[in-house]
Order: sequence, then C-alpha cells, then structure tokens
Amino acid sequence: MLQYIIRRLLLAIPTFFGATFVVFFLIQYAPGGPYEAQLNALKRGQGAEGAASAFSSESGNIPPSQLEALKRNYNVGEPIVLRYLMWLGIAPNSVNDYLVEIGVNESVGGGQRIVVRKDAGGTFKPFDPSSGQERDDWYIDPSEKPNHVWVYQRAVSGILTFDFGKSEQYQKPVWDLITGRIPVSLQFGIIAFTLTYIVCFYLGTQKALNHGSKFDVISSSIVFVAYSVPGWALGAALVVLLGGGSALAVFPSGGFQSPDYESLSLLERIADRIWYFVLPTLAYTLGGFATTTLLMKNSLLETMSQDFVRTAYAKGIRENRVVWLHAMRNSIIPLVASIGGIIGLFLAGNYLVEHAFNIDGIGKLSYEALLARDYNVVNAFTVLTTLISLFGSIISDFMLAVVDPRIRFS
Amino acid sequence: MASQQSTPSLSITQRRWRKFKSMKRGYYSLVLLVTAYLVSFALPLLIGSKPIFVQYDGNWYSPAFREFLAELPLVGSIAPPSFEPGTKFGLTGPGSESEPNYRELKTEWERQGSDNMIVMPFYPFSPNEDVTVTGNKKFVAPFEEDDSGHVRILGTDNNGRDVLARMTYGFRVSLSFALLIAIIEFLIGIPIGAVMGYFGGWIDILLQRFMEIWHALPFLFVIMIVVSMINPTFFLLVFLIVIFGWLGMASQMRAQYYRERSRDYVAAAVSIGVPTRTILVKHILPNTLIPIITFFPFAVVSGISALVSLDFLGFGLPPPTPSWGQMIGVGLQNLSEYWLVVVPFSALFLTLTLVVFIGEGIREAFDPKVFSRLR
Repeated sequence: MLQYIIRRLLLAIPTFFGATFVVFFLIQYAPGGPYEAQLNALKRGQGAEGAASAFSSESGNIPPSQLEALKRNYNVGEPIVLRYLMWLGIAPNSVNDYLVEIGVNESVGGGQRIVVRKDAGGTFKPFDPSSGQERDDWYIDPSEKPNHVWVYQRAVSGILTFDFGKSEQYQKPVWDLITGRIPVSLQFGIIAFTLTYIVCFYLGTQKALNHGSKFDVISSSIVFVAYSVPGWALGAALVVLLGGGSALAVFPSGGFQSPDYESLSLLERIADRIWYFVLPTLAYTLGGFATTTLLMKNSLLETMSQDFVRTAYAKGIRENRVVWLHAMRNSIIPLVASIGGIIGLFLAGNYLVEHAFNIDGIGKLSYEALLARDYNVVNAFTVLTTLISLFGSIISDFMLAVVDPRIRFS
Repeated sequence: MASQQSTPSLSITQRRWRKFKSMKRGYYSLVLLVTAYLVSFALPLLIGSKPIFVQYDGNWYSPAFREFLAELPLVGSIAPPSFEPGTKFGLTGPGSESEPNYRELKTEWERQGSDNMIVMPFYPFSPNEDVTVTGNKKFVAPFEEDDSGHVRILGTDNNGRDVLARMTYGFRVSLSFALLIAIIEFLIGIPIGAVMGYFGGWIDILLQRFMEIWHALPFLFVIMIVVSMINPTFFLLVFLIVIFGWLGMASQMRAQYYRERSRDYVAAAVSIGVPTRTILVKHILPNTLIPIITFFPFAVVSGISALVSLDFLGFGLPPPTPSWGQMIGVGLQNLSEYWLVVVPFSALFLTLTLVVFIGEGIREAFDPKVFSRLR
C-alpha cells in the first residue's frame, strides 16, 4: 500500500513538470503573450507622443534602457529551460534590478545604497558606499547604456514558493488575492460536492433497484436533461425567470450575500446565505449530477446480476442485507474512483457559474484578469487548477486502493 | 440458394437500425434534428433581409438565393454572395451605393403602385442587422411591432438585432461547429488510440504520459488564454478544441485495440502474414465500431457546450457571428428583458436534449446491456 502511494506520487512528478511547462510556455513564451503585449504597449505609448514611425522597426523608438529593463524582467535571451526553472522557483531569479551609473552613489531601494567601481583586479564590483566593503549579495550585469551597469540581487522564488508575482490590476500580490477569494469558491464547491454525492448515491441506488419502473424512466429523462444542459446556462435561465428583476423575484439575481449581511443575526445570516446559495448551487451541482447518478446505477445493476449476489439470495439472505452489505461494497468502487475528478471540478472555482451569478470567487477573479490581461493572475489560476487536477487523480487512485482490496500494486 | 432466399436474414447493422427505429424517442429526435439541420442551410430563403425575388425594369434578381449558395459549404467558394447596390433599383442620393433596405424598398414600390416587385423571405430580418438599419429598435419585446410596423416574433436584442433570426442562424453555427469538431476528433483520436493499444510498448507509455499531462490542464481556460492573445476565427476555435478533445476518443480506442489484439482472429491474421496496416484497419476496426458510433453524439454535445461556454465568456466566435452563448451573455446584462436569455437557452436546451436522446437510442441499439436479476 505504502509502496503504491509512493510510486503514484513519483509518477505525478513528471506529469507535474510536463503540465506546468505547457502553462509556462503558453503564458510566458507565446506570441502575443505578456512580453509582446508590454512591448507593444510601450511602442504605442511612444507612437501617441507623435512619432508615427514607432511601428516601423522591431524596437521602435522605445528608449533603450526601457527596452532593456523589459527584456531583463522577462529574462528574454535566457535559454527556455533556465527561464522555466526560474519561473518554477528552482533556479535563482534576479530581483531588485536597478540601472546604475558607474562610480556614482545610487539608491537601490529599501534604504540601501550602492556604488559600482573597479576593484583591485580591474573588474566592476558593487561596494557599500559608507563602509567601502564589497557587497556579496549584489550582482552586476553589463548594460547597453554607456557608463552604466545593472545591479541586482538573486532569489529563488517562483510558483513552487507560491510567489506568483504582483497583479497589475489590483497592485497586490497574486497569492493574497487568490487566498482572499478561496473561501467563497470553496463554500460553493464543498456544498455542491456533498450534495452531488448524497443525491446521486441515493438516486442511483433507487434507480438500479427499480430498474425499468416508472420512477426509473421518469428520473432517467431528468438525468438526460441534466447531462445535456451546461450548469451555468440553466443558472442564467433561472436567474432571469426567478431572480431579481423578473416578475417572480424569488431569489437574488446574483452575488454572495446581502449587502447588510454583517448587521444580521445568526439565524438571519444562515437564511440569507441559503437564499443566495440556492440557484448557484443548483448550477454547480448539475455538472457532475448526471454522470455520477448513471455511474452509480449501472455499477449497482451490474453487481446485482453477478453470481455471488445470486448465491446470497439462494442462501436465503434478506434483500436489504444482500443489497447493502454484499452488492454495495462492490458497486461504490467506480463512484469512489470518480471522486478525484469531481473534487477538481469543485475546488477550482467554476468561472462560468461565478460569472453568471456574479460571485466573487477565484473563477471570476481569473476570468476578469484574463479580460484585463493581468497575466500573473491568469498564470496562478492555471497552475493552481492544474495542480488540483493532478492532486484529484492521486486522491482517486488512493481512494480506489482503499475501497478495493483486490487492487494489487504491481 | 433457394433456401437462403426464402429466409431473408438481416445483417447486424440492419438489425441494429431496426432496433434504433423501434425506439421512438431516439428515432424521432434524429429525424427532427437532421431535418432542422438541413433546413437551416436554406435559412437565407426563409429568414433574412435579402429578397427571394426582385423584379425591376423587367430584370429578375435573387439576392437571397445567391446568399443561400454562398453559405453552402464548398459551393460558397465558387459562388460568392451577390452585392446589388441600391442604384441598380433606381435609388439615388446618399447611401444609394450600398445595399438597399429591401423592406423599405418594397413598401415604397407598393405605395407607388409600380410594376416592380419584391418577394421577401417569410421573416424578413437577418441576424446581424442592428440599430443602424432603419426600423430596428433596441429591446423590442416578443410579438411587438418595431418602428417600421413589423412584428418581431421573439423581439430584438441590445443592438436591435432580431432574436429569432439570431437564434435560428445560431443553430446552424453551433451544430456545424460541433459536428466538425466531433469528426476531426475521431479522425485524430482513432488512429492514435489504435496505434497505442495495438503496439503498446514505449510509444504507448510515452503517449499515455502526454495524455495525462494534457488531461491535467484546464482546457477551456487554456483556450481562453490563447484566444485572448490571438483573434479567433471559426476554424481556429475548431482547431483549439480538437487539440484537447481527441483525448477521449483516443483512450477509448486504445482500450478497444488493446483488448482485441489478443483475440484469436488477430493471431490468425498475423500468422498468415497479413500486413499490420490491414489488420488494424480491416480486421480490428470493424469490431470497435460500437464505441465509435455510440460516442459520437456525446462528442457533439460537448462540442456545442464548449462553443456556447466560450461565446458566453466572450472568448468564442468573433462578433457579430450569431451564437447562443453570446446571446445568453447579453441577456444576463439585461435581466428585465427575459427573452434575451430564455430564447437562446430554450434553443440550446432543445438541441442538446435531442442529441442526447439520439445518443441514448444509438447506445441502446448497438450496445444493449441486459441485466438479469434473481430475487
């Protein structure tokens, strides 16, 4: 068992690197990505000041120092593998990058000052201007600007250290933004997850035990409909028909809680939450509802037609005992195996539903970040979703090993 | 010979088809959907702002028919849509160089009592005519008249575009898109899955690792990122969705070929020296048809859902392409105009339900599961 889990975790490592490399390549390297977007913004900025020829050449009329800073910021020119390792937070990345003039006492942030001059060996080194000591923690790169060099510090920070950079839109660290929104998405996710499993387990079992009955046929139609319609679309229709603004304004038209939530009493708060949660939860749940129900039903039906169930009946065991003790243990295996996928579905925050209901969760945050081209947030969300999905599949395999003792790990 | 003719036996395909036909729900869904899809290609003749016939000074024109030809796949490339400037029909003054408003022209000619004649389509509004066209008003409620006195059966949207026209044209766009995606996914997924399952070995391991990586990515969001960088077109979106969509079919096929390759008939074929390609295509493929066929309707459903979701978020087909997702998105911004959401949602709901019913019927006919239960 332990060996199996360790092997499974080791297998996840290459997948993790592969998946994050795709995300990295997509967001950091793609044509039209953040680097080119910034470059074009700089060019446009110059063009607006009157130089119509700004678009003519690759670097346009961007001041060389600005272009250099941009290139250094995105590590353009470094090999792609090194850039990927920097982005991951394995290789050291340059931070606190400053362009300083040689021989001049310059401020480099945080109250620190640095002067760059030649040392005894004739190479440029950073020195502390007050004590005259050489600074080991600062490094120097040559600059294209004459008589200037770049000084910077090195730090290992990247997505593995949860450093996703700063959001351009909110001017806040991305990690803080995301952790601030997680509780909202998580509440919907957990409620939807629990509801899905309770309802699907019960419904699937009843459908299997009454296979072919009127109840089975009618509930099958509902399941088909639930399968075919995307949850957010049903949510949108419900908001228009039952939400605020319509004739039947039963539920709020969106949002997470009432504006005066803080002033309510505990009971009122609970009622308020439920009132706001009904429609989005319905939309959330719809996604996994149909497949899970059918999975449960088919699995139980298949088990019920097997020989050991027949034997159990033949021995005269009561029906309830046969179903719940003999058949059920074998039937819930596929249901348990699907847990990982569904966890991923709910944990990641559903940007479609959150957009439709105007819920300030992670999904809506990332969707709006994408609209605003705030790529650090987009990057963080994509990495996070990928990690959750990988994590989900590990959970699935683990749960499967727990419920199905027949699985031998070789 | 005679005894064979006296007892006509049905091939397995014929029997399955009969079984499918006997299941009314799936069969009628198929008939309805195929009919609706075929009719949707003739949409310019039924719903559109271009007239079916114009008679002017003894000459006959048919802009709608030209439009119909131009929108047919393949034919469209050799028969581009016609453009008749207003001057051709005796219009003068500013704007007469552009396409005339045939509805106005018709009322004008009828008022003059001239011999010239215009026959408009049954419902004379096209999906992309917005407020800039005379008579198109924003937010006309269903069954109400717009400024020019025409009844708008399902109202107009925030740009004065006709909801009924957009809904019907959106049907054609959605279904064409999903069908194309499903077909290409199959064309890619089947050979890859077949190679993985039949040969196994390092190619299988490598591709499986790759598929695991691909599977971990949030595919819709990744597509949105790409679309935010590059302006999307119909075929680019098809390409992007197919990049992720072929996984499902490939893993299905992999399992099938893996199972079949250990069967006796494959061993027999190998031992008499049948080329591997022939074994893959002629011997094994027919035995894997069931998952291929039963999977197809569900691939169409996910194709439509993906397109609608992308359009809803604004990362789908370029505007002003009529699309249900975009319509629902607009409707959510204008909550009091209920028809803006209800109409496209109903269309989406009906279409997807029909496809799922077809899929269920096909699955039942091709892959019947019999559960015996002793109690």
